[in-house]
Amino acid sequence: MSEATATSPGATRAVPRSAPAPRRSFVRPLVLAILLILLLVAPIYVDEFWLRTGFAVAGAIVGAIGLNLLVGTSGQLSLAHAFFLACGAVTYVFVSGESGGIGLADLSGLGWPPLIGMIAGVLVAGLAGLLFSPIAARLRGIYLGVASLGLVFIGQHVLNSWTSVTGGFNGRSAPEFSLFGFTFGNKDPELFVVGVPFREAERLWYLGIVLALAAYLFARNLLRSRPGRALQTLRDSEVAASVMGVNVQRYKGRVFLVSSMYAGLAGVIYALSIGSIAPESFGLEVSILYLAMIVLGGLGSVGGAAAGAVFVSAMPLIFQRYADVLPFVGRPGEGGLAPGEAARYLFGLAIILVILFEPAGLAGLAGRLRRKGRDPGGGRLTSRSSAATSSTTTDVPSDRPAQGSTS
Amino acid sequence: MTQFLSLLLNGISLGAIYALIALGFVIIFKASEVVSFTQGSLLLLGAYTIARLSDPLGFYLAALVGIAITAFAAFVVERLIINRLRGAPVISLAIVTIGVDIILLTELIRRIGSDILNVPHPWGGDSVKVGDVGISQNRLIATIVAGILIALFFAAFKYSSWGVAMRASAEDGETAALMGIRLGRVSALAWTVAGALAGVAALFLVGSPTPGVSASVYTVSLRAFPAAILGGLDSTGGALVGGLLIGMAESLAAGYQDQLLFLGRGFGDVVPYVVMIAVLLVRPSGLFGTKELTRV
Amino acid sequence: MRTDVPPVEVENISVRFGAIKALSDVSFTVEPGTIHAIIGPNGAGKSTMFNVLSGVYKAAEGEVRFGEHRLDLMRPFQIAGIGVARAFQNIALSSGQSVAENLMLGRHHLTKAGFLASGLRLPRATREGKRHGERVAEIAEFLELGDKLHTPVGVLSYGDQKRVEVARALCTEPRLLLLDEPVAGMNAEETDRMAANILEIRAGLGISVVLVEHDMGMVMSLADRVTVLDFGRRIADGTPAEVQAHPEVIRAYLGSGDEIDPAEAAAAGAIAHHPSETPGTHS
Repeated sequence: MSEATATSPGATRAVPRSAPAPRRSFVRPLVLAILLILLLVAPIYVDEFWLRTGFAVAGAIVGAIGLNLLVGTSGQLSLAHAFFLACGAVTYVFVSGESGGIGLADLSGLGWPPLIGMIAGVLVAGLAGLLFSPIAARLRGIYLGVASLGLVFIGQHVLNSWTSVTGGFNGRSAPEFSLFGFTFGNKDPELFVVGVPFREAERLWYLGIVLALAAYLFARNLLRSRPGRALQTLRDSEVAASVMGVNVQRYKGRVFLVSSMYAGLAGVIYALSIGSIAPESFGLEVSILYLAMIVLGGLGSVGGAAAGAVFVSAMPLIFQRYADVLPFVGRPGEGGLAPGEAARYLFGLAIILVILFEPAGLAGLAGRLRRKGRDPGGGRLTSRSSAATSSTTTDVPSDRPAQGSTS
Repeated sequence: MTQFLSLLLNGISLGAIYALIALGFVIIFKASEVVSFTQGSLLLLGAYTIARLSDPLGFYLAALVGIAITAFAAFVVERLIINRLRGAPVISLAIVTIGVDIILLTELIRRIGSDILNVPHPWGGDSVKVGDVGISQNRLIATIVAGILIALFFAAFKYSSWGVAMRASAEDGETAALMGIRLGRVSALAWTVAGALAGVAALFLVGSPTPGVSASVYTVSLRAFPAAILGGLDSTGGALVGGLLIGMAESLAAGYQDQLLFLGRGFGDVVPYVVMIAVLLVRPSGLFGTKELTRV
Repeated sequence: MRTDVPPVEVENISVRFGAIKALSDVSFTVEPGTIHAIIGPNGAGKSTMFNVLSGVYKAAEGEVRFGEHRLDLMRPFQIAGIGVARAFQNIALSSGQSVAENLMLGRHHLTKAGFLASGLRLPRATREGKRHGERVAEIAEFLELGDKLHTPVGVLSYGDQKRVEVARALCTEPRLLLLDEPVAGMNAEETDRMAANILEIRAGLGISVVLVEHDMGMVMSLADRVTVLDFGRRIADGTPAEVQAHPEVIRAYLGSGDEIDPAEAAAAGAIAHHPSETPGTHS
């Protein structure tokens, strides 16, 4: 896709010279600081429903950031995200869950500390990613999309069949999280902050912030450094990347691994937020949901992925809460759409519209608004400079003579 | 032995249907290098339409209209959306087809709900017996129809000007355009044809031995994706071979389920994907897909 | 005089795409520290040759030796690792990223920071990045891109982007530099600047440069040696003067027909040779 404009030989461009180094505006850090403070004090004022939602959203943010690394930054389409979410969730539930069971459900579990369970969840998901990565590394990006479908269905089959570990069709419950004796439940210890009881929802809220923040920072650092550059070049042209010294297969495998570890963590958070796991929660729809998050947010943008995660997670809940007010949403039984359906229509439509008209998604919109503030005449060219779009290259140079344009 | 042959025959006939869907996949890919995830919901659209129209219009007319509507829907998708994205990265195109699939699927599932709609095939649930081995009439007809259609397309790709135009635009769109090939037309026709194929596949998929239109038809149709991939996304012959392989594997795995209980109940449903992954391990471009010229 | 730049020995290279022979039995040698041009009419196989040198295409027959390495047996990233760099004909930069970020990609095989170190922002990763960032800035300065380091590549002029391509190739600290039509689409002034840069590179770094170009004047004035391809075959190989007068070459460019008078052709070549009458641009 051609991004640069061509100049006819000899013409000069009336482009404002950029400053020698990016000016550090203080607006951005200020906004982020305010946001952080709001998030930190939220549990004191906000009711439990939103806190629980917030924790679930934190999980979605982690998962979305991971998928974005793979799909957005590296250009490798994968629909297997739900599979790795399942890996993380099941591992946590197995490692930290107790054995035993009632009647038919004969479950096994290791009963280890939940922190180990969480780490194990991430690692096992990573291991699964590692096992699949030889395939991921050698397939062309688009083949991977279809191949990864397979993982989701195989994963669900395993979830349904391996009843002792996964609880089979009915699922199993997720053990409470705790960290060195401090449980993230309603007691142990009883906690009061400025008179407000800090029970499970409040504690998990903070856990979510920490994990989401860590996920965000790690990805952000990655993108600004050597591996990030390699991955972006890989997306734009595998040949160019290889010629520049990037071991393309190794990087494709590695990013798949990293992405699956993110998904593993997201799976653990999911298990904690729902309190249990069931096979139907890890189907193709979930993979597609995550895809919607990163497309909406803007492929390639870490912040965008987070924003997209918030948006997509919140939508069904908002539809549900405000069903009375929204014209097309109805309660089950009445006419109109169920909140879940309405949300799905919206996502499908949003995906199409974003790709058609604003490939850089929410991140692109934000960027445009910022640039409008700085330079009202701002060129459309720069608004597409988010990593979403590919660079100006043909994959393999041919013997056609060079043209004046860069397409 | 009879069981084995029965299962094999059943598998081949199922595979023929998969091959039709996979063929649509391959045609779209060859014409525009787009991996289209809409085949599944298009198929469901065809099935739904045929089922709904069977009462008022009678089977044959309903079938015709159903296939036409599916083809038209594919055409609309191409004109309204795909056409506007010419030159976009392939991954964006693939994702946009997922978007379309979501919308179409949600709408169809809402209408179908948990019902199982009936399609009154004139050949009903009768079986044909060859010795001790039986095969449903529906599947037999499906295999014959599929065989004819696939042979037709194989020939068209190789010899007709449309086929050549399609291969040219897939390989090098810019040059093809310079040579006078209307990329838009080639692409639109490809999608329309793929839609029609999905419609035909739908017609047979909802007949015996798995009669009825329900939401699960979508899940079944997804198994054509592995068929297309393992045959090689740009190989029409591969679509056929892939479809047959998947069909046979699924049928055998389902048939011998009791002996394969350690793999979990219902393993037959995921066997297509296992086979696909196994093939991709050794042949990343599929069995008959063209290997990349360039090394990385 | 550098001792670590060996000659590039291309021996009997053939490349086939199905039934088409893109290159047939091509041989030439690039002497260390020289500028070697590959020219020929469109479709002659020049870019194919470059792809073989970079490891992108697999040769059906023949060998390419660079010191103790066999380039024809190596994958592109391995070739980059031993000091072979390439600037692409159609720009292969990341338009959304800044010049500095694009140039830093050139340092990839010289740096080590992996996923973990980079994600955690370990000191050794940041130190490495800073160190190489300084070197990158130096190279950018050399190609007059110093003030554009933080500009997104997408907004630069075509000529500037071409220079970023070359700069990025230089950032890999190559021993062999492959320039694929470095002045295509440039005006006369930009062409002269690039030509001067290439000479400086050769003089300052002592590396070998292989050049694919259509601009005859530039080729003739820069190159120490020229290899001419036509229809995938080598039809001439020698100094610019020798090649200009070669009847096969003239026939390939001008089409065959009557007897060509070598003296006339040489005179015509001599005129094209003069830099001030370089036709500047072509598109």
